[in-house]
Amino acid sequence: MKDLFWGMAGADWALLGGGLAAVLGGIGSAIGITAASTTIAGIVSEDGEKFGKLLPLAAMPGTQGIYGFIAAVLVMIFFNFLGGDINIPASIGFKIFLACMPVSFLCLASGIYQGLTASAAAGIVARRSEDSGKALILPALVETYAVLALIVTILMLTVLQAALAKM
Amino acid sequence: MSVPLYKTVYDSISYGFAVGKVRVLETRVFGGGTYERLVDAPSFAEQKRILSDTVYGRYIENAETADDVETGLESALDDFYKFLNEANLPAPVVRFFRVRYDYANLKAVLKARALGAPLDGMLVDLGTVPAEVVSGPVEHLPEFLAKVVAGLAGDDEQVVSVEQIDTAVEHASFTDLAETARVSKSRALKELARLMIDVVNARAAIRARRRELPASDLAGAFFKGGSLHLSRIEKAYILPFAEFADAIASMPALGGVEPELLTDLASLDVVLDNLIARFLRRARAVQFGPEPVIAYVMAREAEVTAVRTLLIGRLAGLDRDALRSRLRELYV
Repeated sequence: MKDLFWGMAGADWALLGGGLAAVLGGIGSAIGITAASTTIAGIVSEDGEKFGKLLPLAAMPGTQGIYGFIAAVLVMIFFNFLGGDINIPASIGFKIFLACMPVSFLCLASGIYQGLTASAAAGIVARRSEDSGKALILPALVETYAVLALIVTILMLTVLQAALAKM
Repeated sequence: MSVPLYKTVYDSISYGFAVGKVRVLETRVFGGGTYERLVDAPSFAEQKRILSDTVYGRYIENAETADDVETGLESALDDFYKFLNEANLPAPVVRFFRVRYDYANLKAVLKARALGAPLDGMLVDLGTVPAEVVSGPVEHLPEFLAKVVAGLAGDDEQVVSVEQIDTAVEHASFTDLAETARVSKSRALKELARLMIDVVNARAAIRARRRELPASDLAGAFFKGGSLHLSRIEKAYILPFAEFADAIASMPALGGVEPELLTDLASLDVVLDNLIARFLRRARAVQFGPEPVIAYVMAREAEVTAVRTLLIGRLAGLDRDALRSRLRELYV
């Protein structure tokens, strides 16, 4: 196992980091959307007119999967995976992997928690349709931290890209 | 991922659909305004008109007599319990609500047999066992009911009194509720069963102390499965009544109850029943899990009781003040 990890090339580390960001963000979003959607489906089964107001709540946890996807695509663009000329030292590759961790784990956790918050907030809309705006704000607060994690990852990747260019 | 988060996510997905439905349906549970309109309605026909826009409309649209109202509301309650099945709640949770009717039916059958009275209209078909099976031969009873009958008959086949029937059936009923709640693995249901038993035990202890019955009588009336300790109640039993009520009120199971209200017969039932109402308010506030569904069905149970009181009261010719006071007994 030790040989497997420490014997990995820079490109391997970079791909592992980008892949984890896409996968963990996607898992967070999938669980979050499922949690929110089951509650929303129950509400809509009794009051179909509320569907439009509830849809944003169900969709909101989906952004974490997008952030993970963005991080993975940036790894591929910044470090020329799409161009085919990949020359990343192991030390930089490992740092790229580390740079992907904020968005990976934050999106996994915040996607799930945002789904739970959206599910609870859907109860507000079930009781009072006119409070749908307030209900949207609560899960949106959870979003903040996924956005911050994406920004941190992008900044780290930008620095690493510049470092690689100087080598 | 921690275990609590896993459970929260699991509950939100397992019960999410039912909780979503409940969030809408609970907005249709009657508030004070609807009860006031039913109380103020000048006739039974007007009460039916008010209810025609509600969930009860289709159940009582053709009701003309008290029996019709009973039958209609029984069907409504049956549908509320069916919602527990539809909500994907575990079988023991559904049983918890329905099994009480099995014991109530058994009690009615045994009492009717003991007194030689007819059973007309005494049975309710809301239990886990059809009412005709409960009223049929003992050998056709399911084991959990047959055990109660066998325990009452004993070896000498002597005639049992109505009080013995009450005690035996209620003991079996509360033991079953506590066991069903335990098997359900629902923390909320376990708490509810414990609270129901505590309320019954506290009520029995206070009434016994008020009537100055000997402490030794308490043991026979005390139900197992609650968190009130018989030994602590017996220890406090020698105190003057007011101090005894203080001691009961200070027990954690009844946390927050005013001792003065326990000493007043008029407020005793209401105060103790409010403990259940407080539990239901807490259960409604839970976001993920079976609690909101359980609280909704119990709110509907209470609503059916209130609607039945108002409709049958009006049919019996009770005036507004009498109806209002009966409603207050249920909902203060």
